[in-house]
Amino acid sequence: MTSTDIHSPLAYTGGDGRYDIDRHYCDLRRQRRLYTFIGVGAILVALFFSLWFANETNAGKFFDRLPHFFDFVGDLMPRDGWEVWRALFDLSSPYYDGSFKYDYPDGRVYITVSLFVPEYFYKMIETLNIALLSTAIGFTFGFLLCFLAATNITTSRWLRFFVRRFMEFLRAFPEIVIAGFFLAIFSLGPVPAIIAVAIHTIGALGKMFFEVVENADMRPDEGLRAVGANWFERVWFGIVPQVMPNFLSYGLLRLEINVRASTIIGAVGAGGIGEVLRLSISRGHEAKTLAIIVLLFSTIVCVDQLSAWLRKKIVGNQAFEFGA
Amino acid sequence: MLEFQKVTRRFGANTAVDSIDISVPTGQMVGIIGASGAGKSTLLRMINRLIDTSDGCILYEGVNVSVLKGQLLRNWQRDCAMIFQQFNLVPRLDVITNVMLGRLNHRSTVASLLNMFSDEERAMAIAALERLGIERAAMQRAGTLSGGQQQRVAIARALMQQPKVILADEPIASLDPRNAQIVMQSLADINKRDGITVITNLHTLDTARAYCERIIGMQAGKVVFDGGPNDLTEAAARRIYGAEGLEDAFSEAVTSTSFAASRPAKSAAFVAAGLEPATAERPAMKKAAKA
Repeated sequence: MTSTDIHSPLAYTGGDGRYDIDRHYCDLRRQRRLYTFIGVGAILVALFFSLWFANETNAGKFFDRLPHFFDFVGDLMPRDGWEVWRALFDLSSPYYDGSFKYDYPDGRVYITVSLFVPEYFYKMIETLNIALLSTAIGFTFGFLLCFLAATNITTSRWLRFFVRRFMEFLRAFPEIVIAGFFLAIFSLGPVPAIIAVAIHTIGALGKMFFEVVENADMRPDEGLRAVGANWFERVWFGIVPQVMPNFLSYGLLRLEINVRASTIIGAVGAGGIGEVLRLSISRGHEAKTLAIIVLLFSTIVCVDQLSAWLRKKIVGNQAFEFGA
Repeated sequence: MLEFQKVTRRFGANTAVDSIDISVPTGQMVGIIGASGAGKSTLLRMINRLIDTSDGCILYEGVNVSVLKGQLLRNWQRDCAMIFQQFNLVPRLDVITNVMLGRLNHRSTVASLLNMFSDEERAMAIAALERLGIERAAMQRAGTLSGGQQQRVAIARALMQQPKVILADEPIASLDPRNAQIVMQSLADINKRDGITVITNLHTLDTARAYCERIIGMQAGKVVFDGGPNDLTEAAARRIYGAEGLEDAFSEAVTSTSFAASRPAKSAAFVAAGLEPATAERPAMKKAAKA
């Protein structure tokens, strides 16, 4: 083809005077619309049948049970609004009749003769402690393992394969399943909870971490290779400074998740706030239940806010700096 | 003495460097020129083993460096410092730490990982930065520096390795003329004062002529020119870049990054072609297509 007919419209039009490219574009568009239509239709049909199947297999029918939706809320109404705060801060109740239901001062943790930590705050600290410890353990081992799983750092295919499968195995089971297993071994208490959450965290953070490492800029590493640095030095000076802000950000996110996870694990017997929440719901202690829910909610909001603030501090604008 | 014996590198079916036989005496300043894809970078990277050779071997003082492994390989890489087009510093570490990283191979790994650098090493780093004229940026993060400053930090790091050879892969390709001049002068100064062999890839002919005592031209993986700066005539350059018979396809002044050559000549070239700089290469392409 010579240079003159590149710019001639004649080269591109069929017999009807339309551009070939235009006709091709319209064909493609028609095809794409058809596929979209079929796809959306298929999803709607599947959704209808799965909802129908779920309703059929449910113990009570959905629409029959719907009016009872607010029964639970009714069960949660305390005698008066102040009862919630009395339960939260372990103050004695005017309704105290000797029963456990209104015995709020029971369970105070005394530091001195007169100074005490209210029971639920103490339990909340227990839960937070589980979350903090297990996140720290998970972060450490995830950090150590992730470099062995990253394609750009570890050249041995077998080592990478092994480390990746190992991390998959660690995060395959939900914390509550692992906790059940360790509870059987170590009996009730926070230690099995810490082990369970930490194991899951190693697997989850390790995966996040090695993906960050694989996205790292390899030019500093090349520079260090040319210096004659060994593997450890190249990782520590070439890769770690780049990936650390992202690692910390993921670590803080994991801390938020772990606070919730250790609450749930508490409900199966690993101590902490989850355990007292389950007990007070099943015993019908409405003021205590509400107090725990208020405490749990405000703690999770605080942890989320704090970690969001910290993440912004750590990652900040540096992460978006040109060439960084 | 650095000797190349039938050095070849293949990437799949492609031969990037094809059976090269040259030898570089100690203390020489060598410039390698050639079109993109001629194999300059591959050749340089084979010397310090960022890329392995497919065939042939490279000898330094009689030692075959193409087969070194482990600690011996890392020792050779320390003796054979490299400077990159994109500087390859660690952007998040400060300048002085980046420079001290040049000592990594001289010291224990554990001390390095704990960031324990000795007083002598700090003094060395400051001296190296002073020599390059950037000691005032020592505490800044390397990523915040300009390109020219970063390249000088990279040279300071190379000096910390106490190398016998310095390789420079297009060291001035992403720098402005002023910084290019500083970087090339620093390399020439290191070559003269310290007697370190310098081998540098360049893509501007006048830089090669001005700073290098020996120029090697490569085309399609082969050495097609080897001589002093005075032997590098325009006809020889046309041969290296494969631009024979194209009168206006090849103007040395267009690519020049030096002050003296570029300004008057560049405008003259554009006036002759009757074109703006951005479109200056189009007629050349048309002619190439015909040829």
